[in-house]
Amino acid sequence: MTEVLLVASTWPQYGVLADSVRKFNALGARVRLAGTFPMDAEGVPEQLAESELAELHQLPRNLKHRSQALRRRASKSPAGLRVWMQAGRDSWLRSRARKADVLVALDPGAVYTVWRLAEFNRAAPARFGLAPALKAVEELKAQGGTAGARGSVLPPLHAITRDVKRTVDHLPAQIVRAATPRPVMRSGVGARLWRSAVTAPGMPTKVRAATSRYVAEGMRWAGRTSGAALTLADAAAKIPDLKLKADLYDEAAMQEIGKGISPRGIEKAVAARLALADAEFAKGHVKEAAEALNRALFLDFHRVLHIDQLSSPLARDAQGFVAPLYRSTAMQALSRPRGRRAPAAPAPTDRPLRLLVTTSANDNFLHLIKEHFGDHPGVELRYLDLAANKHLKRISWAAPRMLQDRLTDGESDYHEEVERLMRPHLDWADTVFLEWAAGPAGMLTTIDPGTTRVVVRLHSYEAFTRWPHMTDFSRVDDLVFVAPHVKDLTTSLVPMLRGEHAPRFHVLDNAMDLAGFDRPKSPEARFNLGLVGISQVAKDPKWAIDVLQRVRKHDDRYRLLLVGGDMDRRTSKATRDYLREFEQMLQPLEESGAVVRLGPTDDVPGKLVDIGTILSSSVREGCHVGLMEGAASGAVPVVRDWPFYAGKPNSARTLYPEGWVVGSPQEAAERILKTTATEEAWRAAGELATQHALTVWDWPVVQKHFEELFLGEDLGRK
Amino acid sequence: MASSPPSPSGPPAEGRRPHVIYLAIGFPPAAKSSTYRMRETANQFVKVGWDVTVVNIARESWELDSGIDLSLLDAVDPRVEIVELPLAREDLETDLRLYDEARALNPNGWVASLRRRQTKTFPEPNFGEWRSDLEQAVAKIHREKTADLVLASCVPYVNLAAAWKLWEDERVPYAVDFRDGWSIDVIDGVEAFARDSEEGRWEKKVLDQAVSLWVVNDPIAEHYRTRYPEFADRVHVVRNGYDADSSPGRVHNADPDKGLVFGYLGTVNFSIPHLETVLNAWRAAREKEPLLAHARFELRGHIGNGANRGANRHAEVLKEAEADGVFFGGPAAKAEVASIYAGWDAMVLILIGGRYVTSGKVYEYMATGLPIVSAHAVEHDASNVLRGHPLWTGAPGLDVEGLTESFIRAAHMAVETTDEEHAEAMAHANQFTREALMSVAVKNLVEELAK
Repeated sequence: MTEVLLVASTWPQYGVLADSVRKFNALGARVRLAGTFPMDAEGVPEQLAESELAELHQLPRNLKHRSQALRRRASKSPAGLRVWMQAGRDSWLRSRARKADVLVALDPGAVYTVWRLAEFNRAAPARFGLAPALKAVEELKAQGGTAGARGSVLPPLHAITRDVKRTVDHLPAQIVRAATPRPVMRSGVGARLWRSAVTAPGMPTKVRAATSRYVAEGMRWAGRTSGAALTLADAAAKIPDLKLKADLYDEAAMQEIGKGISPRGIEKAVAARLALADAEFAKGHVKEAAEALNRALFLDFHRVLHIDQLSSPLARDAQGFVAPLYRSTAMQALSRPRGRRAPAAPAPTDRPLRLLVTTSANDNFLHLIKEHFGDHPGVELRYLDLAANKHLKRISWAAPRMLQDRLTDGESDYHEEVERLMRPHLDWADTVFLEWAAGPAGMLTTIDPGTTRVVVRLHSYEAFTRWPHMTDFSRVDDLVFVAPHVKDLTTSLVPMLRGEHAPRFHVLDNAMDLAGFDRPKSPEARFNLGLVGISQVAKDPKWAIDVLQRVRKHDDRYRLLLVGGDMDRRTSKATRDYLREFEQMLQPLEESGAVVRLGPTDDVPGKLVDIGTILSSSVREGCHVGLMEGAASGAVPVVRDWPFYAGKPNSARTLYPEGWVVGSPQEAAERILKTTATEEAWRAAGELATQHALTVWDWPVVQKHFEELFLGEDLGRK
Repeated sequence: MASSPPSPSGPPAEGRRPHVIYLAIGFPPAAKSSTYRMRETANQFVKVGWDVTVVNIARESWELDSGIDLSLLDAVDPRVEIVELPLAREDLETDLRLYDEARALNPNGWVASLRRRQTKTFPEPNFGEWRSDLEQAVAKIHREKTADLVLASCVPYVNLAAAWKLWEDERVPYAVDFRDGWSIDVIDGVEAFARDSEEGRWEKKVLDQAVSLWVVNDPIAEHYRTRYPEFADRVHVVRNGYDADSSPGRVHNADPDKGLVFGYLGTVNFSIPHLETVLNAWRAAREKEPLLAHARFELRGHIGNGANRGANRHAEVLKEAEADGVFFGGPAAKAEVASIYAGWDAMVLILIGGRYVTSGKVYEYMATGLPIVSAHAVEHDASNVLRGHPLWTGAPGLDVEGLTESFIRAAHMAVETTDEEHAEAMAHANQFTREALMSVAVKNLVEELAK
């Protein structure tokens, strides 16, 4: 009998595995599978049971019960070594490996483990992949079926010396670990003591850095995330080496970001990276400067700070927030307008306008535009999805390469690559309409557009990212916003949008086909509040729950219908935390029927038939499409004065008609109770909302604005 | 810059048969899609009176790549000499005892750095380091038996280095069969590299001196003519065509009571979303069309390579689709091809890329005379070839609804078309027999050389 041992670090392809096991069995082999993947996860036992394996063995799935030092080492090790750290001590595995005739790694993560096991069984063929393993079994069969004398179970001498050396290399870590155990760090005194130790004078830089990292790790282990961040930041403040200082501040910030918290020391972390970027830039080390700048922008615009929270430092004081960034010389070099050699050519008069509509995957708001101009006699439309082509996708989001190019003034191979891939599109098009002012805007403005007119649309989230700061707006002719408050925020943030090289600005409503939303509502809908779209923290559905609870105090016929997919837990820790609290609030309300989750749907108009009041509970929006569709359906709109913009010259209050916007959940509850007090009042208010939506935002109205944008003569060309 | 073909080293001595060294990595018994073109090229050279020495890599090396099919050797003219070099793709190695620790720790990272290293010798990942072996092999063959021509079939492009070296050292003229083209990424339809990149400099240098350049379709030829106008008259379209012995050779009568059989034969090289689109359409068509209720969809061909051979995500997706009558039967030997086609009632042409891709499959599919469902981009060179074929469902693009209708239309075609219509469909392919196409190509090349 040929003994085959398969090792997997991730879920195998079950169907293929089952087929192969049958083939192994037919060759007279017995197959065992050991894996570090969870073998008891949903559906897995059934799948594995079908595969006719002789034995299954669950290897340790993680290093949870192992030492802190080992886990730290593991976190910095390649995946293959981590699997070996988990599995290498498993006695079942070692014993089966010694007796196996063929050793097989099923995936790249399992290769190192099998490679190490093969040192203990030097006669057995060791293979990567099922087909090579089958071939090895066939070859063995021709020789009698087994790998023959298994020889010594000791690994070769070089393997032993290598392992001893590794143990010695990690001694200092073990010593520090012994001094910072969990009980010490749990006590406030102990933790403070160690924090002060990392700032002791006279300590060599490397020792200070290493010690602070160990202390921080102990604190994190003891649940003191902010203490860990402070320790690293304290040590960083004492370190003169710019790179190491920046690294430690960065690690400090990431401790808290990893926990979904806006870090207190983010300004210092960004400043340290910028100082490093400037120093490297001054020395002519462009690659290093670009890396540091990239990291500074990454930290400054991290989604945990701005997107996954209910507030953002950027919204509070936009210019103040970016001021330190633009004091950096490297950043100034990055944001220097390069302009274009020739102005955009006028639209042709002897043939249709060649319009290239482009985006990277997300075409949610493009359908009507594509449809309308695709059939327009005055336009020849081409559509380019940058994410659908691997070359274009690669350059569209390549932040470090973009930065390096800007800092070398267009001398990089990135520039050449963008030129090569995008020039044919620019040569064809009279006008490029780029949807979303994100990575692709940075990419496209890397090169001079020639005489092609470039129009970019910025929705809302982009303003909270680094991309507008990496876009050369002097190569954009027209920048389209979906609402005035987004324009205000973006121009406050990006200095180039306030200078002489700024593009023309337009505010154009999103293209929405609202006519199909106006359907008759049943009388019961009067008591149904609705929220369409709850997939991001910024939608703040907890606010809607607060409103619901207030109206239910008066009349428990009120319900809240939630339409759309849930937030994705994987987005960030901050999202997970919000979601947990939201679910806790929701549970009793769902059980009592006060809240009904309708889930994702392709038929929003159908769902709106049952909704009498449409809410916008968000902390920020560009223009709230779900709310506008609700208004078109005849639901009474109740809009929170989006806190990111409340009190500013433009906000939800200036975007929507008087009376729709409320300042608090209490005010919202009062408006709902008043407008739905009788069926007549409710229907009358809904009718007014429909009229407003259809006369202002519906596509027949908005399409004229787009025609003017693309084909109008009033727009003086540059 | 040279703007006319170079002068050859001189005509062969009186009474000596001319000799071509044919760099054809992928020649039988390798089971690659380009194998048939290579085999026919070598055979045609023999037919016009040339001695042929083929340079290939060891057959064991193909076992981890696209596999081998010994039956392919049967139709190689016995006068063709084959030199197999002991070269293998290091990235596809699956014997873990040959790995050093760095590779074992991070197999994918190690292969990535290997590829970077390989491009230092010649700008081509996976193959760059074969340069010196190929150069020496070609020089040795020439020393032992004087060559009058080198023909380099690419991929791999490193073949060009060997042809170039013999030209530099011995002035042996050479021609290039790019098949798909180097500076054009035929899948995405964009320029693959800039003119001043290392690849760009190699391509220009080699093509400047080449006797002739073959490519498989007009769009690729157009790319080369535009890129190197001075070279335009030496660019020739040599279509792939099909092998007459792969055709079932008779009209076909479908039996819907037994359940129609749709088939795909070829390497499974398309993306997972592409495959899923086809399978979703297949599923929808089976639900919608009674003729397809018991239909089967058989796929035959190579799947995955290296450690993933026969065991990648595609294999799993196909396995999961078994409940819908989908069956993946693994690779098919060339000798079986005609009988496999004979058991099918309609063909499913799944192709990657767009206007720059033709694929040899399209010709073979046409020659079956069976209805063809096109599961590829609308703007695809296969559509140009198929236009006018009476049993083609058209190309709706990679769209589930469109493909569903195509499957349904093909089912009706399979049971409703007459013998005459089948015969007409087979006749549409006649113009594309590989033998006919390659004999003209080789004849023209020999004439070009003599100019």
